[in-house]
Amino acid sequence: RVSSDGKPPKFQPPPKPVIIDRKTRKEETRFLSPEFIPPRGRTDSLKYYIERKDMIQRRKVFNIPEFYVGHVLAVTTAEPRASDKSKRFVGICIQRGGKGLGATFVLRNVIEDQGVEICYELYSPRIQAIEVLKLEKRLDENLMYLRDALPEYSTFDVNMKPVPRMAHEEIPVNKLQVRMKPKPWSKRWERPKYNIKGIKFELPEHKMKAAQKWSQPWLEFDMLREYDTSKIEEKIRKELSEELEK
Amino acid sequence: MMPIWTKSGEKHAVTLLKVQDCHVLRYVSKEESGGKTAKLLVGGKNVSPFSKPESAHEIFKEAGVPRKQKVTTFNVTDDAIIKPGTPLYAAHFRPGQFVDVTAKTIGKGFQGVVKRWGFKGQPASHGQTKTHRRPGAISTNKAAKVYRGKKMPGKMGNIYRTSFGLKVWRINTKHDIIYVNGSVPGHTNCLVKVRDSKLPTYKDCNKNPPFPTFFADGDEELPEDLFDEEIFQFTDPSVKFA
Repeated sequence: RVSSDGKPPKFQPPPKPVIIDRKTRKEETRFLSPEFIPPRGRTDSLKYYIERKDMIQRRKVFNIPEFYVGHVLAVTTAEPRASDKSKRFVGICIQRGGKGLGATFVLRNVIEDQGVEICYELYSPRIQAIEVLKLEKRLDENLMYLRDALPEYSTFDVNMKPVPRMAHEEIPVNKLQVRMKPKPWSKRWERPKYNIKGIKFELPEHKMKAAQKWSQPWLEFDMLREYDTSKIEEKIRKELSEELEK
Repeated sequence: MMPIWTKSGEKHAVTLLKVQDCHVLRYVSKEESGGKTAKLLVGGKNVSPFSKPESAHEIFKEAGVPRKQKVTTFNVTDDAIIKPGTPLYAAHFRPGQFVDVTAKTIGKGFQGVVKRWGFKGQPASHGQTKTHRRPGAISTNKAAKVYRGKKMPGKMGNIYRTSFGLKVWRINTKHDIIYVNGSVPGHTNCLVKVRDSKLPTYKDCNKNPPFPTFFADGDEELPEDLFDEEIFQFTDPSVKFA
């Protein structure tokens, strides 16, 4: 290269290496409970703001821990007709539904060979304590298929001790493939609309192929179904962190 | 709609109603209106003045108020007359009061007799030829005519209906929101008329309401949220049965 002055070219130092710090990435994707994200609709955002204020009020008084579908929880509720006036139920969380104050979660357990599912409301004043006994995500977000799986996969010891969590590690994903009871099932879980990855299907190949007839491969490209919640989530996270620090 | 819990742990569903820019527009005396009581014209939600001619803006100019989307009449006794131009707030109502809510129901368009009037229709099989949701017979032989008001297919919905005797659980004075028990006719974000209940069981329920209305520039300073006695407030710890 020839410079304009005839002198040798100015020394340009090499570009500095870019260091991606993995720890900061974890802090950015912190947990936001799914009932805070408002659904898509024509309701006024003021309604969601007021509901969120109530939810934050409740969370300040009563601690609702971070949990996902697949965790094993123990819930103590106030029961007027019990002798102790309280009831403790241990079970695996199979579904988290509802938005806002009416958010619910369903716990399943098999007690004395009888499958029991109880649907609790997160913000109900009757709930006195929620403890997370085992932290473990599963491959799906909806474990309703445990109703048709062998009962050993839904039994959890009622007096189970809480498994200690290592200091703020990532929540482990249990890649367990569950074995099912013989058909008929309550729902046709092999169909692609349920998109279940946590079942070990022991069905013959031609049945699995026949189930793919109901697949709708155009759904993932449908732009009208897209609901980008990233900006809404950021705003809500900021609001939450500000309010809870007060 | 939102859930609300009482101190005994029972859940009730509640509708949120927002009092948005309500002003008193005109006072009509008993003789002028020709009714039994005097009337007050009240306007709701503010709306752009450009979509209506100037002649329609007279009422609003007299009161000194921007154009409102809806103008309704309230029958008022002589001691409850308010000067035109005063704003009305949600604090006009108090928790524990009972209220009637009127609104236009959701319009369903032209509907058949099964959906509109709840007729049972006919069976799906066993030889029915092209008759599954039809009204069937419309009158008897002796009558030799069809009576007036016979239930037949037609436009359903988009008419004014009232839900009576709804309890007011909570009032938010900062955002002017009334929490009313149960459901209310109309779609989300529709305009709604709220009045004190006319039911005889709730005649003596209003213990010292703000009369004639709640004035914002008065001496009273209300807290941001007014709760009914039985409501579980989220600042309290969880419910325990003794």
